[in-house]
Formats: sequence, C-alpha cells, structure tokens
Amino acid sequence: MSVLNFPAKAQRRKVSHQCISSSALRLCVFAGVVLFLLLTAGSSLAQTQRIVIVKCDGLPYDVVDRYVKQRDPQSGKSVLPWIDHIFYQRGARLSNFYVRGMSLSAPSWSMLETGQHLQIKGNVEFDRYTLHSYDYLNFFPLYAAGINGSRIDMRAVEVLDSLGLPMLSDAYPHNERYTTYSIFLRNPRYSTLQRSLQNRFTRSPKELFDEWTMGFEIRSAITDQLVKELISKLGDPKVHYLDLMMEDFDHAAHHNNDEQTHLAVLKEMDSVIGQVWTAIQKSAEADETAMVLISDHGVNTDERVYSQGYNLVKLLGSRAGGGHHVITKRRLMLDYAIKGVNPFVPLITTTTPDTYYLKGESTAYPTAMLDFDGNERASMHLRDSDLNTLHILLKELQRGGLSDPVYRATVDEFFGVIDRKRADWQKDLKQLQNELGALDRAIVEQRKLWLAQPKKFTKEQQDAGLDDASKRIFVQLDRWQTEQKEYSEYARTLKNLLTLSSEAFAPNKVRIPDIIPQMSMGDRNTIYELQNYVAGVGPNGLVANPDGSLNLEQSFVHINYFSLLQGVSVRNNVQRGISNRPIDLIATRLSRDLVLPLINERDIDPDVIWVTAGANRQALILSRRDANGELSLRYLPISNLSEDASGRLQFKEISWQAGLPLQIFEDPNLNIPGADRTAWLSQWHSDGEWLQALHKTHYSNGLIGLQEELARHDIERLSTTDPKLSEDERLMREYARRKRELVEPDMLIVAQDHWNFDVRGFNPGGNHGSFFRISTHSTFMIAGGARTNVPHALNIETPYDSLSFVPTVLALTGNLRDDSSPVPELWERGFRKFPGPVVKELLPDHERPKATANGATVSP
Amino acid sequence: MYINLQPLRAWILQLKNRNLGFLSDSVQTCSLGCSTNSPSARFCCYCERRRMTIRSRRHWHLRASLFLAFLLVVSPLSSTIIRAQGPNAPEADKSDPASALSQILRLERIEVPGGAELITVHARLAGLESTENDNWVPLVSILRDTLGDNDTENNRLRYVWPLTYTRPTMKQRLAAAIPFFYARVENKEKLDKVPPPAIDLAAPENEVWNKIFWVALQNILLDTYGTPIKASTSSYRRNTSDYRRSHIIRALSVLALYQAVKGESVFTQSEMAAIQGRLLLSDKTFGGLVDDSHLQNYYTKKTTQTRDERGHNWELLRQRAESESLYFEPLLMPDGSATHALLWVAKRDLVKLQGSPRYSSRFLNVANPWTDKRLLNWKGYVETRYFDSENQPVDSETPGAEAVEMIPLGLYGLDNPKIPMLLIDFRDSYNPKKREMSRRVLNDVTHNMLSLSKFGNLPFFLGRTVFDFVTGRRGMDINQPSRLHTYSQLKLLLALNTSLEPELRSEVSGRVEKISLNPFENDLHAEANIATAQYNALVAFAKDPTGLAAKLDRDRRAELTPLEHGGKARLAFSVLNVLSFGKYVHREELAADMEDRLDIARRLQYHTSFLQQVAKSSAEIDITWNLEDVRRSIRFIAAHGSDARSDAAAATAKIFARTRDDETRRACLDGLARIHSSKAKSELLRISQNNEVDKALRDLASEYLRGAPRVQPVAATVSGAPVITGQP
Repeated sequence: MSVLNFPAKAQRRKVSHQCISSSALRLCVFAGVVLFLLLTAGSSLAQTQRIVIVKCDGLPYDVVDRYVKQRDPQSGKSVLPWIDHIFYQRGARLSNFYVRGMSLSAPSWSMLETGQHLQIKGNVEFDRYTLHSYDYLNFFPLYAAGINGSRIDMRAVEVLDSLGLPMLSDAYPHNERYTTYSIFLRNPRYSTLQRSLQNRFTRSPKELFDEWTMGFEIRSAITDQLVKELISKLGDPKVHYLDLMMEDFDHAAHHNNDEQTHLAVLKEMDSVIGQVWTAIQKSAEADETAMVLISDHGVNTDERVYSQGYNLVKLLGSRAGGGHHVITKRRLMLDYAIKGVNPFVPLITTTTPDTYYLKGESTAYPTAMLDFDGNERASMHLRDSDLNTLHILLKELQRGGLSDPVYRATVDEFFGVIDRKRADWQKDLKQLQNELGALDRAIVEQRKLWLAQPKKFTKEQQDAGLDDASKRIFVQLDRWQTEQKEYSEYARTLKNLLTLSSEAFAPNKVRIPDIIPQMSMGDRNTIYELQNYVAGVGPNGLVANPDGSLNLEQSFVHINYFSLLQGVSVRNNVQRGISNRPIDLIATRLSRDLVLPLINERDIDPDVIWVTAGANRQALILSRRDANGELSLRYLPISNLSEDASGRLQFKEISWQAGLPLQIFEDPNLNIPGADRTAWLSQWHSDGEWLQALHKTHYSNGLIGLQEELARHDIERLSTTDPKLSEDERLMREYARRKRELVEPDMLIVAQDHWNFDVRGFNPGGNHGSFFRISTHSTFMIAGGARTNVPHALNIETPYDSLSFVPTVLALTGNLRDDSSPVPELWERGFRKFPGPVVKELLPDHERPKATANGATVSP
Repeated sequence: MYINLQPLRAWILQLKNRNLGFLSDSVQTCSLGCSTNSPSARFCCYCERRRMTIRSRRHWHLRASLFLAFLLVVSPLSSTIIRAQGPNAPEADKSDPASALSQILRLERIEVPGGAELITVHARLAGLESTENDNWVPLVSILRDTLGDNDTENNRLRYVWPLTYTRPTMKQRLAAAIPFFYARVENKEKLDKVPPPAIDLAAPENEVWNKIFWVALQNILLDTYGTPIKASTSSYRRNTSDYRRSHIIRALSVLALYQAVKGESVFTQSEMAAIQGRLLLSDKTFGGLVDDSHLQNYYTKKTTQTRDERGHNWELLRQRAESESLYFEPLLMPDGSATHALLWVAKRDLVKLQGSPRYSSRFLNVANPWTDKRLLNWKGYVETRYFDSENQPVDSETPGAEAVEMIPLGLYGLDNPKIPMLLIDFRDSYNPKKREMSRRVLNDVTHNMLSLSKFGNLPFFLGRTVFDFVTGRRGMDINQPSRLHTYSQLKLLLALNTSLEPELRSEVSGRVEKISLNPFENDLHAEANIATAQYNALVAFAKDPTGLAAKLDRDRRAELTPLEHGGKARLAFSVLNVLSFGKYVHREELAADMEDRLDIARRLQYHTSFLQQVAKSSAEIDITWNLEDVRRSIRFIAAHGSDARSDAAAATAKIFARTRDDETRRACLDGLARIHSSKAKSELLRISQNNEVDKALRDLASEYLRGAPRVQPVAATVSGAPVITGQP
C-alpha cells in the first residue's frame, strides 16, 4: 500500500544519506518496483500529503453525534455546524470507536500516538523501589526545567523514547511538523505563551474594558494563540503534519453535568474546527490535506446524576484499611490547601494517625501509593507485606520487653522471612547490580557524547532539530545519573538486609533504615500477601506458639484487601439508582505458571488477568497468540480464587451466569452469532471478534481493555532475545524492562457507575477511567480534500479501537505496507509493525482488488 | 395512604397559622414528587415518603388532633378536590419536570397604553403565604416597550421590578444608618406606592454613573465630616446596596426557574439572556457599561460557574457528612437543582458514638454532635426515617426497615464559591450570624473606624490580601464575600420548595430571619404582602394613561437623544443627570414621527447586532447561518444607510470576507455603498483593491465607489425569485 505513494514522498523529501549508501542492488530493486507500481496502480494512489489532527481530550462520540443532529432554531443548521459540514457531510466518522485499555488520558493518548500496545499504564506511575514518580500530565516541571535546558520533552515522551516507540509526529522530519501543547509534547515553545498573553491585551480599549469587568479568560488565550499559529503554519507548504490539542470539554465535563455547559464548550470547539478547516481550504495543499478529529476517551456524565466520590486514601489510612501513610501525586483537597498553589506537585504523603507501627515516620516509610487519576479507577501499590513483617519484628525486638520465648520466636521469624525470600532477593539484587553496572558504563559513554556535542547550531541544524537532539542527550544523561543514585540506594539496603546473620544478630545495633529501605514499596505483593496482608502488630502483641515459633495469626493484624475493598459501602448515597458500594471491580495480573495447573489450557501467554467483583463473581482473562501474532482471548468464569503461603492457587471454575465481572452474559446488547451465549462466550476469540460482540454492552470492550492494561506487551526495545546484542545492550534492555515492571501496581480498582475516587477535589460533573462504554466510546472522524479520497458522508459502524488510529493515518498518507509494517523510511526511524487493523473503509482501494505491495520492497 | 396524610398534616398547620393556603402545596408535594424521573426529583419523592414525628408540644395540638379525626373521614376525597380547584386543573405530565414546574410558575401579560406590556412571573408559594389567589404571588415584573406591534425586532426591555423590593420605612432607614447595627428592625406594612425598579435594562449605564457619583461624594465630602458621619453614611449605603442586590439575586433565580418551564416563552432567548446578563452585571461597579453583545456569553459563563460551585459543594458536604457519620440531604428547587442541603444526625448514632474525639468541624462548622449532651435529650425538631441493613433509606413498609430518629444539625447554602455556607445551626442560632457578620465587621472597623484603605496603606493592603487569600483558599466560613447570595436563595427556596415538612419549614424560616443583617429586610410573610400590594399598585400604574404610559413616553423621548445629539452633548447630559441625583434627564420634544424614528433606530440596532454576531461567530458564515436571514439584515441596513453607523459597515465588510455566496457578497457591497460612513467607503475601497476577491466583485465595488454600479446586484425575494435592486 505505502509503496504506491513512496514516489510522491520521495519527490518532496530528501533521501537520507543512509539510504544512498545502501547496496546498489537494493536500490535497483526498489526503483524497479516504484516504476512498476507507478505504471500499474496509479488509480489507487493515496494522495493525502498533509495531515491535520485536532485532538480533543475526552470528547465522547455520542455527545457530539447528538448535538450534530440537533438543529439550531435560529439558523436551522446543526448546533455544531462545522463538525456537521466537515465530517458528517464531507467526511467519514467511526460511530463505534473505542479506547483500548483504560479510558484515561496518558495511556490512551500513548496508544493513539504510537499505534502500539500499552506501555504507559496511568496518568501517574510510581516506581516501587524508589518511589520515583512519572507524572505525565504536569506541564510545569517541563517548562521550568526547560529554561535551563535540563528537560526538553514531556515525561511521557521521555518514556516512549526510552522504549523506542516513536510517535505519529515523529514520522515527519522536525521542520515538517507543527505540534501544539499536549501531554506528549516535544520541545515547549515559550513564545506561544508569551504571544498568547500579548494578544490577550492587544485589542480595542472597549473590548479590554468589558473583559476586565467580566473577568479575564487567560485559558482561552492560549488556545486562540495555538489556533493562530496552526493556521499560520498551514500556509507553509513544507509542513505536512500539524496537530492541535483542545482539553476544554474534558475539564468542563468533570465539573458540570449540564447540557448547557457541555454545548457551550462544544460550540467553541466547533468554531475552532471551522477556523482550521477554512484555513486548510484556503491553503495551496487543500486537495491533499486530510483533517482528523480524535479523542482519547469519553466521559461518564449524566445531567440527572452527580458523580459521587469515595476516598480510598482515607480508607487505607484507617485501622481497618491497614493504617497506611499514603503517597499520592495529587494533593488531597487541592483547592483548599495553601500548599496546593505549588505547581510542581511533589510526592504528597497523607499521614494517618491510625498507623499500627509507623507513627511519626510517614515521610520515611509510607506503605501505600495511590494513583486515582481519571477517577473511575485507581491503581494501588502496597508495600511488600514481607517488608512490613520484617519492619514490625525488628521494631518489636528493638523496643524490648519481650519474653524469652517470644524474643526467640521473633528472631526466628525475622530470619525465617529473610530466608524464604533470600533466593529471590539475591537473584534480583545481583541482576540489579549488573544492570547498574551497565548503566554506569552507559553514563560514561553518554557523558562523552554530550561533551562532543556542538554548543551552537546553525539555522539549518535547528530546522533539522539537531539542537533538540543534542539536548536530549543531556537529558538522558541527567536522568540516568538520578536513576543510578536511586536504585543504588535500594540495592545497598537490600544487600545489608541479606548480609544479616542470625548468629551475630543484635537488634539494637541495627539501624532500621540500613536494612529496610526508606521510601520504597519493595516487591509487588502476591495474591496470598494481598489476602493476608500484614498491617501491624496484633492487639495482644507478638505471641509465641508452644513449639517456639511465632504465632503469625495472633501476632499480626492481617487484612484481605479484596474483601475489604469489595465490602465498602456508604450511608450518604442520596441519589436513587446509584449503588451504595463504590467499588465495582478489582483486577490484577497473575503468572501463567500459577494458573496452568488448574485449567485445561496450555499454550497461553505468560500473563493472566484475574478480575473479581466478589468471592463468587470472578473471572480469569486468558490470552494467546497464533503464528501470525494475532491475539485471542478467553474469559473463564471462576469463584473463590485464593493463594496459599506456598504460592499455590486455588479457585473453582463456574458456569457462565449473570453477575460476573463485566456483566457480559446478561447484557442485552451482546452481539454474538447464534443464540447460545454460554457456548460462544466459553470459547477463544480474537480481540476483533470480542470487540464486535461486546462493544455495545455496558462495559463495552472492557475484556480487551483489562488485558491491554494489565498484561505486559513485548516490544523490541525490551526484548533480550536478539543474539546480536552486546552484554551491556542486553543489560540495558533488562534495565528498561525492570523500570516498566516496577511501576505495575498491586491492583487496579474500578469504580461503580457514577462513583469516582477523586480526592484532589470533586468531579461531580462526570469522570472516566473505567471500562464502561460511556467512558471508552470516543471520537474518530476524518475529512479530506478532493485528492485524499477520504469518503464523503460515510458512517463506519464497524467497531475499531485506538490501536487502529496510527496505522490508518499512515496508510492514508502512504506510509504503511499491506502487512501493517511501516515503509522503510519510517522503519529507520523506529516504527515497527502495527498490531491494530487499519480502518479499511477509509482507504481508497477498499472493496477493490488490491495492488499488493507485499514483498515488493525489501523488508527492513 | 401516605399521600393523603400530607394534606392532613398541612391542614393542621393551617389551623395553627390561621391560614388554609398550605393545603394545596402539600397536595402539590405529592403530585410533584412522585411525578418525575430525575434523580433529584426521585430524591424529592423519597423525602415526601418519609414519616415525620413532631416532638414539639404546642397547646393547639390537642384541638388539631380532634380535628384530624374528623378530617380522616373525608381525607380520601381531599386531594382530589383540592387538585381540581387548582389553577392548573389538568394534571401535570408526570414524566416531565418542566411540566411539574409549570404548576408553580406562571406568567401574566398586561398591555400598557402606548405600546408596551408588563410581564409578570407569578409563583405559587409554599412559604410566603398570601391570603388570596390560592398562594399565587407575583414576584418579578418586566416592562417591554413594543412600540405597539408584534414584531420582536423593535422591542426594548426596560424596567425590572423584583416585587418584594420596596422603599424602606423611616425606621428601617434610621436603623440602616447606625454603624455596626446588623439586624432587622421591622416589616414594612404601609404600601401604597408604585415599587421602585431595580434596574433599567435600556439604560444600565445610569446605574454606573450613579455609583461613581456616590463613591465620589462619600470620599470627597462625607468622609471629611468625621467618623460618625462617615460610618453612618457608609453603613447606609452598604445596606442599600445589599438590599437591592439580594432582590436582584432572587429575581434572577425566579427568571431562571421560569426559563426551565418548557413551552412557549414570552421572552426570546436573547431577551432572556439580556435580562439575566444585565442583572448579573449589576453586581459589578462598571457592569452597566459592558456591551450588549457580551451578555449571552456572560450569562452562560456565570451559570456554568454557579452550577460548578453547586455541584462541588454538594459533593463536599456529602463526603464530609460521610466522614463524620452524619446524614446529608439536598434540598431542591422546583426545577430539581439542589441549592441548599441539610445535615442530620441519627439518634441511634449519638448513643453509639458518644464521646468520639475524631469529629472534625472543617467545612461543617457546627459543634461536635458526639460530645453534645443536649442532643441526647433533644427537644427540638425530629424526623423519623427508615433504613435497611446497609444504612440505605427505604420505605417504612420495607421488610427489615429500621426506624431511625433524625435530628437536624445544620442547613447549608450550596450556591457559594468554594464551600457550603452554614446558614442555620439548629443548636446555635448565633453561629451563622457571627459568620455572617465577620466580613461586615472587618470592613466596617477597618474602613469606617480606622480609616484604613487597601489603596492608601501598604501594610494593611498586604495584611488584608494575605488574610483574604488564606480564608478564601482554605475555604473558611468567615470573611466570605458572597453570603448574601446564598441567604437570598434560601428565602426563595423556603417559598418554592415543596418537599420540606411544614414544621421544619416554619422553624427554618424563623431562624433565617434572625441571621439577617440588613435593617431593610422584611420577613417572608411581609414580603408576600409587599409583592402583592406592589404588584397591584404597579398594575394600576400601568393601566393609568398618565402613569406608566406617560413614563414610557418620557423614556422614548430620552431614547431619541442619541439620534439628535453628538457625543459631547450626550456626555454633558449625563453629567447633569448625575449631578442632579438623577432628577434631570434630557429628553427630546415630542414629535409626530417619534415612534417611526425609534422603530427604525431600534431595528437598525437589532440588525447591526445580528450582523456583528454573525461576523464574529464563524470563519465562514455560509456553514453556520441561514444566509437569507443575513441578507435580510444587510438589506435593511442598506435601505436605511443614512442612519446606519460605522459598526454596521464593519460587520457588513467582515461578512463579505466570510462568505462565498455571491448573492450575499453583492448584498454586502450594496449595503456598504449605501451606508453613509467613511468606514463603509474605506471597506469598499479595500475590497476593490483586494486581488483575492473575484474580479467581478472588485469591479462592482469600484463601480459603487464611483457612484453607480454598472451591473445591479441581484437579490432574492422572499419567494426566491430574483429581483433587481438599484441605488436608493
């Protein structure tokens, strides 16, 4: 497909030096194919040469569709006339386009930007070992650090770069793209901020006076400036990729649930879309330009209901919740705190007075971390229960006053825990030390590279982005140095712990911070640990058994977090039809090895997703891939999953019935071939088949989404199987993999309908983050000039998800081959085969015989 | 069964109050509460289903009980009879909240001689009891000058009368002038005058000049006579301003409720936005100078902001109630919006949690109920409700339902920035009053006594700024700038909310009067009488040819001033108006063609505003507007080009640039050629020299500039057939 257009691209882009230097044979073959295709397949050339993407945060398709169809009584036109004109009359829209994974901005945009499976799993991620936080939404640190050159990209871009995942805009050279503010921003433009403020005040005195009287609106000033810049860039024939981010609807919908507010924001957005479209039409490249309207998720908002908040931080801080000091990256009651004016938002620790054993130590030993962004879900990390046990035992030993039998039992149990974990910890420590060694060497090389960078850049070099690339070398160096320090501290403490010996053990000579890492959660908890979490000393203190061992039942306060969370109910539930239980689902990832002995499946992926809505309402989501790498999923209903101390799982398979997680069986909108729901639902199906069957149900593509969110997805940069890798390269890849794995939470908690976990403030208007269709159903519309061949007035009802976005855009612009691999030029830039299907209805050769490009080029 | 008990309870209260007006409201409660599907209405329904136990013992209770026994005999018929007697006999559509709302709001139009109409919103009140008209009380009147026709293009909205807003009595005036006197003194009873309008929508700038004049007078003259005069006059002005504001707030709320009533409206959308936008801007010192084109946006923005605050406060209070093991109950306006909320404590929890040290009064601002011994022997108002095993409210008939006695702790206003505002503390009447007074005292002491000004004293400026920031940011219920709004809303809620138990309503309204700071305020019952009496006076004034009609005539003559005089003369007239305390208003002589001239002037303004709106709204107007409407406005302006202003030319030129429709572009050129202003000529010149414009149109523009077009522009008739239009 893509090669059909490659000549056109070749005309306007410089052939890279590397391509020229490749083998003559390869070039001849390539040129021959190009000539052949030009002669034979001219009619199916994709002609989209320029793409303009309007990104709308949280714009739900259903809301847009409803208003587009609503007529303004004064004009008789649609109340969103531009969207109607551009996308409904002159373009195509996907009426069933969904977020894949959580309906949350950072993960969802990451997929829309890269076209690859999820690697970023939340708006905020925490590293369990170091509590390093990845706050993907905060612009301020970038703008502040950007002044002295210590940062150049948003945090999410840094992570994607470190994983070797290029974004759609990276398909275009630096001087051929124009990008605006977004959480995936490269290189902030301070001039935009400056000009937006200037423009705000350069207007007629009367206008200024009126606005001063009514209150200045600075927020819209930035959007106005961005639109102005984008329109200006549309006049530059060199620029082939432009985007514009608008976040107003998401903000408005979080706060207000009324139609008037929503419509007012949508009308403003519609007007901006009209301005952009008009500018495109006036430009010389109008015929070859396609304009896309895309959103990352919907919003669960209902004019008749206020979304109710439930405070998980408070629960975790309570005695019943474990008495945790809780870390968040959002300040609780932000708008009511003086400290809330700090735009950099450090780690926030909520100290509990109900802690069992960490009074006065909240800043050194927080034991829980919570990311509740999006608000219909929260990711929860708890400190490794074994670290709690060791910490408690050591404190008790240091406190003194234990009877001899209890003292001995305590010491035995202390070393018992270490011995039980020793093998794993030692293995991990060794691996970490090896990785840090490789990191040390990489830092040395990176420093050399940085020192070799030119200090000044010519205009041409700046246009090519070489100055930015140079800054990125420094940023990488700086980040590695920080990471090296943080992980080394963790490794040092772990090493100290492992070198303790029972023979020479003198509790009072041990400094706890030397063996129990401060500001660390340690390893992820097992299911057993989450079901038997050690939160504190039992009411009667430590108790020894007659056989001299420590009575673990009585000595500790144990909490089953699954029961605790699913048992939460509230009294102030004043809206009829809303459940008084704020928590709907809890999901977590299990290892295949734990599950295999209990099921009749063999060739499944390493990750199994366990989702529970109560002891008797649980499921496993299994996945596997065929020879072509196509993903298949199976939903296995189970009950009473538990794990014993030895790591053995137990559960009972149950039949399909109503009330299971995601409520698939009873959903009237389930669309399956045939009438036998049980039979169909019990089988393996590809993700496409599941999407087709589920997308209109209440939970929509939640089944696929849970797997996407919680499973690990292999990518080249994290793979260590390539035999050509040097040892250090392999270690650095393992290090990169470790960093991604360390941000995985213990559990994902999903809220009931119209509930949220926002403790930063209140979002009574609505929320997102869940797998409900209303939250995942998002917008993808496209329209183009005469030569783009984008269909007119087409409503595509086939369901697609966000994995399809990038490959579709690349296909339209002639950058994708039929096998979903990028063209060689993009391959060189790091793009790889895309797992999602192209929206074939948008392609000009849809339903026509294809001029196949498979094998026509030498596969990269 | 319980449906029939509601009117019976109400009848008992009527006996107490010697007033039978409540009865129909209680019936209304049942029919409304059960009739809607919205959650808020469902909650309302739930509220009505709960059982109330009135603990307070009154001497009339025994007689009432005997009467109750009698009434039980006829009770099955009562609701039917009363419904049939209501002014809206057909039962409301139970699925539509707007329909339910229309049962308590109605509109009345009275023709005013000389070509105007007086439009009045009446409400059927539950709290403000009138003695006639089945509790229908007029609340807001608006005068619309129609110039005697049915065309909306030449209408002009004039005065807004919140009918509960009245001239104070002498005693009230004297009390208002006493520094640090923060209480009501009496009700106004003698009512024989036409009420004062709160605002003139056609001349909002007058209010601005008036304010500026008084500020100048205060600072330059009155403040120099020493603290007593300064404090006294400042206090008087403050009370006057607050009194007016509180009635404007209620007028706004009434209009917003009316707007929620679906069906034919006598106000166009833009008129409604203009009324509400102007009323909102009356709060700002320079609000009257804001251009009309911003009113719609400003109203939308403020409405959004209010709803945002309401939702946040709703959720803040609900979560705080949850944290403290209390119960939260939103109170609803008839349109289903929750503007206030009650906080309850369950008696059973008082026993269980007695002595609990964990209570945090943050945001709730009421004393710890778990250590308050008075609650264990509470003699005040109590309600019985039923809960299931999960603490969810249920009907008494629900199996396993547990009866729980509930004590109200506080009533909060939700229409307030940042925090819910405590308006009633059922255990401490002076708690909200102290909070209410905090800002007033601070201002009065610093400004009137210590003569400290933010602009003249740097340390005070810094200290005050920090204090305001901290109290505002932290959400502390002291020093809050907007109590007036919430307090004013509560009075309306008490009058319109039908879900409150009458006994509770009575208790709340009694307490509300105690927290009022303004000597000008009248109580709820007095206000009902004031509204009715003032409305009657206003109607008589409207029907009198020498009354409102004559005033209208004078206003029209004043409206002619800009058509006759230039900017300097108008400025001089304004100065004279201000210096004469508004007594002098320049008016033109009465002329036979006055109405015709006003008709054209207003229509020109209407079409110019429309074109400005069109020009500003979209990058390409063809997509967003009906071009026939646009051309009609352009043609009207062209036809009256000699009277059109340069802003009409600017809008026309902008439309030319933003349309691709040839007919509309030609109409624009024709319009520009006929508008007598240099702006129009320069725009034509610009078009004629713009190479991006089609040559034919450029040539046409050049022709117009030279005098007469060679090719006449083509316009469409109403039927769509082309007609030839030439130069005038």
